[in-house]
Order: sequence, then structure tokens, then C-alpha cells
Amino acid sequence: MSTRVLVVEDTPTQAELARVLLASLGHEVRIVGTAAAALATAQEWRPDAVLLDIQLPDYDGLALMRQLRDAGLGGAIIVVTVNGSINIAVEAMRGGAVDFIVKPYAKARLSVTLANALEKQALARELAGVRAQLSRDSFFGFIGASPAMQAVYRTIESVAASRASVFVTGESGTGKELAAEAIHKASPRGGRAFVALNCGAIPRDLLESEVFGHVRGAFTGATSDRMGAASLADGGTLFLDEIGELPPEMQVKLLRFVQTGMVRRVGGSGDERVDVRFVCATNRDPHAEVAAGRFREDLFYRLYVVPLELPPLRARDGDVMRLARHFLAQFAREEGRGFTGFAPDAEQALMECAWPGNVRQLQNVIRNAVVLHDGDILDAAMLPPLAHRAEAEPERADASALPPPPDALLAPAEIMPMAVMERRLIEAALARTGNDVVRAASLIEVSASTIYRKMQTWRAE
Amino acid sequence: MPDQFALQLTRDLDPADLRHVLAVFETDLARLVGLLHDATEAPDAVKFCRVAHQLAGAAGAVGATALEDAARLAMDNDRVTPAGMEMSGAALAALARDAIARSRAFVAKLP
Repeated sequence: MSTRVLVVEDTPTQAELARVLLASLGHEVRIVGTAAAALATAQEWRPDAVLLDIQLPDYDGLALMRQLRDAGLGGAIIVVTVNGSINIAVEAMRGGAVDFIVKPYAKARLSVTLANALEKQALARELAGVRAQLSRDSFFGFIGASPAMQAVYRTIESVAASRASVFVTGESGTGKELAAEAIHKASPRGGRAFVALNCGAIPRDLLESEVFGHVRGAFTGATSDRMGAASLADGGTLFLDEIGELPPEMQVKLLRFVQTGMVRRVGGSGDERVDVRFVCATNRDPHAEVAAGRFREDLFYRLYVVPLELPPLRARDGDVMRLARHFLAQFAREEGRGFTGFAPDAEQALMECAWPGNVRQLQNVIRNAVVLHDGDILDAAMLPPLAHRAEAEPERADASALPPPPDALLAPAEIMPMAVMERRLIEAALARTGNDVVRAASLIEVSASTIYRKMQTWRAE
Repeated sequence: MPDQFALQLTRDLDPADLRHVLAVFETDLARLVGLLHDATEAPDAVKFCRVAHQLAGAAGAVGATALEDAARLAMDNDRVTPAGMEMSGAALAALARDAIARSRAFVAKLP
């Protein structure tokens, strides 16, 4: 293996001998005689190894070694010494040299020392990489250092470079869209479009148009040509959330798209080739959906190439407080509050909660507390009641299974006080989104803080 | 020359490389002996020790052990006085000349 070796040696005879020996071993070699030249060359040439004479005319070789190491330059540093300065060599090893070699050295000794040093350096680098991977506390928008999340990060990293479809499963609020975005960002398509479509939130008769687009006049209200999510995601990633909600006729059309890569706009006559990477998600058991005949098996196996299961928050050891602190800092900043941490009783309450609504529920709880209170420390009394429940009822994870919105919303002719109408609207939005305050606020185009304040008022009534 | 290490060099290097290294050694010694003389004349003990160190390094690289040992003794700070420098300098110059002569003889026998 050819490697770059920088020889730092002020004695020409020694330097030339090192050069011819290293060259005969197949390495690229550069020679410098001073510490200043060593630093400059290491910076510019990025050697894999440095053969460093620690007795230099202009500088202490040990100090140079520390500078190289601190700057991340030099790779494997091998100290060259004479018999009388073994103690210095030992000191150098303690200071970060990978090995030392005593002058005069034979070719075989140099070869073995260099190979060992490079291998040791590579192993150290690999170990550091693995350690860093195993202890990541965040990853493309995810917050979490639990072993369960480390496995998720590794899967995302492994699958990102591929074009294979990914099928994300997990309870509501576990971050399925975040996972899809992470796959997209970590992939070679990261610079292209990421288009997310919530199949469960789109009226059935608009779904085809939303996915494939339409031409002007295709149906009432189609006043102009419109691209669908598939075309908008061309070259990038198409994320189909709640894919289990797709009606059977739409599953057939999606299967055709997945198989052929061709889309046809509603009302259009020609096909258009589109290159997308599919990421799908559902909070239902996809195998059960297939077994029950609600989801086409052929489509399922086209999309279920790489499964990615997101763990519920209760299975993420240590992540509750990590997430809570992250959200507290974020919401305090957004809402202009002074919170800097949690009181022990709040921490205990947060850690005892089962979090059936997962990260989204935790997020809502913290936002609620931050919006309605202020101070330096957030204590348990500031938390909404839900967080105190040690054995909370699971949140309704499946938005489609939720009761329909109050009738009042479907009967606009009914006249009622504005406050009542407002409450019904907000409650309907919360029901539609599985109590996701942020998404509910987005649906009715108000801020999440507004909903929290309203909820506080209703509780006080 | 040739000592054990020089023989090792003949196994490690092809003749062209060995000739090159020994040519550099010869040039190196000539330069270092000149610097040693300058340091003695000055007299500059610090420079003398530095040059002796380099001389030891160059000699050690090719197995000129007598010169290497003498140079290492000469670079011992406690013994560096103007008179000591003069004596050591002369001895080192003589050993350097001897090492160069041996090196040339060694090169002459190379294939």
C-alpha cells in the first residue's frame, strides 16, 4: 500500500537514507529539515505518517509532535531516536506518537514499524468512528442517544445511499416523517426535492390529483394545469405518509407508478417519466393490513424493501429528558421565556409518564408548559395533567379511527356563538390530527400558542 | 566501513541507492567538519555541540561507528571548553576523513 510519509530530519545523510528505504518500500516521501517546514508540509500534503527526529535544530521535536497531533495533521507519528534517548521516545509515545524507531534502522525494521503504526492509526480512527456512532445524541433532526435510536441512525445511514424504497413503521408521534427526511438528506438525492404527502389527510377524490397532478379542466375546480407530488419530487424523494389510508383504486395507480416510473396527470393523455425514491410510513401493522386485504400485497412488497421501525419513546432509555431539555430550550427561545431547566419533581413526572403519544406528546406537553408559564425552572406544577399520568391511556394513534369532526363544522348554516364555534373548530382540528397541537394549529392557521391558551381558558371555565 | 550496519545496507539498498546515500554522507561530512572548525575558531560551544550531534547522526546512518561514538562524546556539554573543542574538533576531523576513505573504498567494491 502506497502511503505518504513525511520525514522530518535535519541530517542529510539520515534523510536520504530514509528516502531511499521508504521509496524502495513503495511509499511517497517528502523530506524536511525544520519544524516550520514540517508543519507547512503536513498542512499542505497531508501525510499518512511522519518519521520525526525529535532533536531538531529549530524546535523541540516533542512540541512539534503535539502541534501536528492537535492540528489533526501527520497521521501516524513515529519518533526516530538514538539508543541514548529511549526515555524521550517513551515520553513521545505518551504524548501521542504511535511508535518509535531507533537509529540506525534496517529496511525490515522500518517497514514493520511503519506498517504497524499505520494499522494502529487506522484502528484508532475506526474505533473513534464507531464510538462516535454509538454515542450520537442527535442525527438529522432526531434527538436521542438511546441504543434503540442508535440502531435507527445506523439503518438510515446504511440505506441512504441506495435507491431502495423504505417502509417506516412506528407508533404515532415517533418521528416517521423525520426519518423520511433523514433518509432523504443523507442520500445522494439530498440536494433535490423532498415531497411529503399525508395520504390520510387528503380527501379521497383529490388524492389522485395530489399525487399525479391534473390538467386544466380535468374536474370542476381544475382551472389550470397542476403538477402532482410525484412530479414535484422528480430526482428526489417522495414520502407517502399514512400509506395504509390509500383507497384500493389509488393503490392500483400507485402500483403502476412504482413499477413503471411513469405518471399520468388526471385528465391528461400522455405519460411522464419521474425518478423518485419512495419512503412510505404507516402507524398500522402493514402485514396485518395486507393479511386483511386492505392493502395490496403486490404494492406492499414493492414498497416494503427496507423496513425501518421507529421505537416508541417508552423504549428509548434516557431520551425523555434529553428531548425534554431540547424542547424546553427551543420553546423558551421561541416564546421569549426564561426557562433554563427542569425542577427535580418535573423531571420525575416526565420520566414516569408512559408517553403513549411519544415524542409528539412530549413536545406538546413542554410547549404547553412554556406557553402558559414563565420562570427560570420549570416545575411539575407547570406541566399539564397528562404528563403526570404514570399509566396514561394510549393516545389515539390512528387519525382515521378518530371520531369525525363535530357536526357543527359540517353544518355551516347553524348559527352559534363565536366562542363556541371557535372551540369546536379547534377541537375538531385536534381530533383530526391526533391531538397534535402544532399540526392542528397549522390546519386552522393560528399559532400553537393560541391553541394552548384557549385550552387553558377552557380548563379554567 | 564496512561494519555490520553497512553490510545490512548492502542488503537493503540496491547499489545505485547505496552509492547515492554514501555520496550524500561524504558531502555531509565535509560540510559538518567545516562547521565544526568554524565553531572551534569562534569559539561557539552551542554550535559545536549542534554540529557534533549532526555528525553523529550522519555517521550513525551509514554505520561509521567510531566517528559516531566520538561525535556523541564531543557533544556532551560538560566537556565543551575552547581547548576541548580544539582537541575534539581535530579528532573528529581525522575520524571523518577516515570514514570518507572507508566509504570510498566500500563504494569501489560495489557491483
